[in-house]
Amino acid sequence: MRRYVQAENVYALPLLQRANPLDLVYVGYGLAIVALVFVSYLIGTLGWLPHDPRAMNVALINAAPFTPGHLLGTDFLGRDLQSRLILGIQAYFLPGLLAIAISLVGGSVLGILAGYRGGGWEILVSYFSNLLDSFPRLVLILLVIAAFKPDIYYVMVVVGITGMPVIANLVAGKIAFLRQKSFIEAAHALGLPAHTVILKHILWLNCRAPLVIQATLGMAEAILIETSLSYLGFGVQEPTPSWGNMVQAGSNYFLQGNFWPSTAPALAILATILGFQLLGDGLNNLLEGKRRA
Amino acid sequence: MKLSAVKPVSRVLVRELAVTALLLAGVSVVVFAILYLAPGDPLRALGVSEAQGVPRTWHGQYAAWFARVLQGDFGASFRTGLPVLPELARVGANTLYLTLGALALTLAIAVPIAVHAAAHGDTAGNTAATIAAYIVSAVPVFWFGYIVVYVFIHQFGMFPLISGTATRQQHAWLYSLVPILVLGTASGTLSEMVRHLREELSRVLAEDYIRTARAKGAPVWRHAFKEGFLIPATEIMSAKIPFLLGGAVIVEQVFNWPGMGRMAWQAAQDRDFPVIMGVALVAAAFVRLGNLAQRVVFTAVNPRASKE
Repeated sequence: MRRYVQAENVYALPLLQRANPLDLVYVGYGLAIVALVFVSYLIGTLGWLPHDPRAMNVALINAAPFTPGHLLGTDFLGRDLQSRLILGIQAYFLPGLLAIAISLVGGSVLGILAGYRGGGWEILVSYFSNLLDSFPRLVLILLVIAAFKPDIYYVMVVVGITGMPVIANLVAGKIAFLRQKSFIEAAHALGLPAHTVILKHILWLNCRAPLVIQATLGMAEAILIETSLSYLGFGVQEPTPSWGNMVQAGSNYFLQGNFWPSTAPALAILATILGFQLLGDGLNNLLEGKRRA
Repeated sequence: MKLSAVKPVSRVLVRELAVTALLLAGVSVVVFAILYLAPGDPLRALGVSEAQGVPRTWHGQYAAWFARVLQGDFGASFRTGLPVLPELARVGANTLYLTLGALALTLAIAVPIAVHAAAHGDTAGNTAATIAAYIVSAVPVFWFGYIVVYVFIHQFGMFPLISGTATRQQHAWLYSLVPILVLGTASGTLSEMVRHLREELSRVLAEDYIRTARAKGAPVWRHAFKEGFLIPATEIMSAKIPFLLGGAVIVEQVFNWPGMGRMAWQAAQDRDFPVIMGVALVAAAFVRLGNLAQRVVFTAVNPRASKE
């Protein structure tokens, strides 16, 4: 059972003044990470990497960070870690966006069916949500991988579909809240057609903030799934880098004391997931007023 | 449990059992659909084919497949040739031990942080603890596993770590705490648990009846316990079971833990349909049972809910 916490929307002060400074720190860090990921993705797409990420350099194996020419050092084959980390973003960036898009569109449709149409739709949507929540996500993904093939886009379709219940609940909860305030009744009394009420008044004016928040949290989830799968060997294969397979490949050297080749991608995962999560939660506190003084 | 709560609980139990059965039927449809749509006709490999007199239609195949699953006949593993269900029961116990231990550990860390934060508000210490919970939750569990392995091998000389045979050695249970430690802290559930418990508890502590209790000098915690702690705690525990089972796939891989997650990984490698199908069904059943338990606790605490 999910419950909806909805604070009174009585905000007298401008956003930045009533904000909890901690939330601003969360959001600031999150935005910085999102910008860094986006810029790195573009750099990787355009191929402006400092080194060839697949080029080995036997003379310079396991170089420490800040080695001249290799800002983040090199791995156990002498490959430049900075270039590999940047290129590793390719493994999850577009697939993650696909998963988010599926969750947002499918979840909104289900949420509107449950909240706006109500009745049998509500029961059906809650059954569907409970059904999807019954599967551990990774187990369902492994089932799909076994049945079809280890393709990241198949995986992200599963991630997107299993992300729909959260969005549906959120949209349905918003609609219930608006109904309680006679908002929807008023819109109908004005003679607005249903699609205007749904698209403009419900989704755009009242749901865009929580949907953006869910999208950032969904990206954190997608990154976690992608890195976990490529760690498990079902994702991008060596020598093409992905953060998960970099941790995995480096782990053979970890127990010999060469921590850096698998620690660098692990820290990248940590910082990125943390960034998307803090951005989502910080925005949630700022815009949805969930934090109590 | 109060006597007044007994009747609603039994009524809700019946209703929730029916819902659980319906959802498990849905789970079976989803698993069947994936197997049905998969290339290479995995259903034939599972023994559902025309040769057994099963009609070619999808509903005929579903009926035949589901009848076999209900009888506990999940087929035999392609890899080992052993029947799947006894194997699942054997390794499922290991996974249950791992996940329940991890859940207990996560609670043991999250509850003090959440309660302290709810009772005292945004002090520097609480903020630091909340941020620490965020960071720990974002640590990739597979990398954290290597760190723990390294520390335990090099600093404490505890080796061999976990394997199927280690459980029979002296003090072997000590080693088994290591994967529990890893899954319990770094599975990504910690920060959500802290946040949920804290939000719910501080919401309840702000209620009028708590203010009344406080004013007349009654113990506040006793009044806030059910609504502010018991219900949110069971809620978040049941909601996090699927995440823990998913995290177990990775932790079992890192520590070579003979559980369901490792079995699922191996099965996905080999396209071993009977095994991966069995793991998915059993894992979903675990999740539904956890949810059922949560609903029962919820109704026992709050009998009004049975009239919803």
